Amino acid sequence: MAEKILQAELEADLAPEFAGGEGAFGASLGEEIARARKPKKQKHSKVERRENLIAFLFILPPIIGFLIFTAISVGCTIIFSFQNYFARRGESEWVGFIHYLNLFKGMGTAGTLANSFFKSVGNTIFLLLSIPISMIFGLGLAALLRMGEIKGGRVLQVIYYLPAVSSAVALNIVWRYIFQSNGILNTAFGTSTPWLSDDMLVKVAIILKNSLNGMGGAMILYLAGMLNVSKDLYEASSLDGAGKIRQFFSITLPIISPVTFYLLITGLIGGLQSYVDAQVFAKGGSGSHTIVYFIWQQRTNGATGYGVASAAAVLLSICIMIVTLVQFKFSNKWVYED
Amino acid sequence: MTTEKDNDLEQQDELFDVQTEPSQSDIEAELLLARQASGRRKQDAPAAVAKRIALRTVTYIILLVGAFLMLFPFLWMVLSSFKTGNEAALEFTFFPKKWVWESYHALFTESDFPIFTALGNTILIEVSVIIVGTFVSALAAFSFAKLKLRHKTFWLLFLMSGMMVPYATLMLPQYRAFEALNMTDTLWPLILPGFFGNISMMFFLIQYMRGVPSAYLEAARIDGASHFTCFLRVMFPLIKTAIAAQVIFWFVGIWNDYFAPSLYLTSRENMTLQVLLGQLNSGTSAKYLPMSLAGSVLSSIPMLIIYITCQKFFIESLTISGVKG
Repeated sequence: MAEKILQAELEADLAPEFAGGEGAFGASLGEEIARARKPKKQKHSKVERRENLIAFLFILPPIIGFLIFTAISVGCTIIFSFQNYFARRGESEWVGFIHYLNLFKGMGTAGTLANSFFKSVGNTIFLLLSIPISMIFGLGLAALLRMGEIKGGRVLQVIYYLPAVSSAVALNIVWRYIFQSNGILNTAFGTSTPWLSDDMLVKVAIILKNSLNGMGGAMILYLAGMLNVSKDLYEASSLDGAGKIRQFFSITLPIISPVTFYLLITGLIGGLQSYVDAQVFAKGGSGSHTIVYFIWQQRTNGATGYGVASAAAVLLSICIMIVTLVQFKFSNKWVYED
Repeated sequence: MTTEKDNDLEQQDELFDVQTEPSQSDIEAELLLARQASGRRKQDAPAAVAKRIALRTVTYIILLVGAFLMLFPFLWMVLSSFKTGNEAALEFTFFPKKWVWESYHALFTESDFPIFTALGNTILIEVSVIIVGTFVSALAAFSFAKLKLRHKTFWLLFLMSGMMVPYATLMLPQYRAFEALNMTDTLWPLILPGFFGNISMMFFLIQYMRGVPSAYLEAARIDGASHFTCFLRVMFPLIKTAIAAQVIFWFVGIWNDYFAPSLYLTSRENMTLQVLLGQLNSGTSAKYLPMSLAGSVLSSIPMLIIYITCQKFFIESLTISGVKG
């Protein structure tokens, strides 16, 4: 959506006559007359300059907010990543790329910084698995709802989307309770799987939980995407003898590919920043440490901690920015046009 | 493809065979199709019907099982919150053996977990951030949508670039800054950034405001209203619903927010509901288990009410952001 606004703005910039001509606000009667009388070269009349000033004042608060809370913060993170920070004395010293190197040096050896960093990267990436899983299930559910001509689809949508609007903490508390060693899951199946204490199983549990919680959003978006597929295409292909399954894979799936792309990208951006699962669901168990968890833990780890955390934050941000840029660049191309 | 071909054929018919009435051939073709279709339907009618019913049933079963899986955590949360500590932690009856209010009572009375203070803190953040932030965002959106502003594209891009930056990059220096200002463990780090508006809300509102005819605003201007009055008296009432929808999302978002509050708030009397819930969860005594579940139930109820009454908003806005790009 943001891209669309920008595009409209760009078009308006390129053709100011057309955009402004249709009674853009501020072209009050007096101004219109003044403009008509005066030679065109004198572009910025007093009225216009005043309006420009007011318009700028109106957008000033978000700009200041951006400068303070985003621009300066980003700059500081980058600077911190090259420094040691002595919290007690409140002093810093420049150390160059050492923190970045330490994030990679000696990985594979237990107990090193690089090792715990790479574990957290590995965990984060592994946990991303819940994205495709929830997408596949969401797609399946949407297809069932759409093709099966199901009654009460709206109620089902509301139910399936419920976890997405619920508090992550509350959900994690109850899921933890479900997965705990003597929890209902183990009791129901008569097993004693150590879902929460095993480094691997805790990740599987998080993936299961997140897949279930993410299904609803994917389902609703896929449903909306399917509404865009014109009925003519289905009719035409069924005349050609295509079955419903063939139609799904040859018509529906390609046309709703923008939804798939969107879900994948937003899932990636969110997933790379996952924190609550590690903190609340796994209560900080080492098997679930994510990158953001690592960053926050490192912060207080001696004089180098702050720098190391900043370096990791810079690397994470670069990854996320790349993903976001890919979305900006390709979102237009991926949109299906007939 | 086929429809196009059909159209072409029909057009050719009309071109070359002017005498025969096109409508007649249409009718004939349709009759033929209908006959074929009915013939097909007659041939395997019982089997097809049985197959369709079976498919329908399977679909319903899958969807209902899914819905049950979705609701189960909430159900389990409510049921278990009425159990005693030992029953919740050690025994597994589906329904509580004896329904007790113990956990709720403990939540309301125990000074270790000041839930009303937490509720107050949460609402304080909600109200201050949403009132100021919405006003600021809407005003900026008005400027972008309807006023003449030089370098508009640049400023839009400028603000948009902020949406790309993950919070993980910002949290370290922000924390240090608030630390220097002695503001950690207060609500200020959570309130102050909100005062400068919400960029995604601004983008939504720009789009809504573009749809408002400029003639309304021009009329007000001719009557001598200032730009600000135009915004407040003309634009604001016109896009009330859009703003309401955005406010609801923001409200739910702040209510459920955990990450930033959990970083800043360390003493219990300063915590928001979600952070306090997290604290309850980390308690080890058996009684904390149903207590944390009871807390989850209580903190979910307002959101559930909002979600169910405004479900249209939620689902539609999700659709808008996702599909229409």
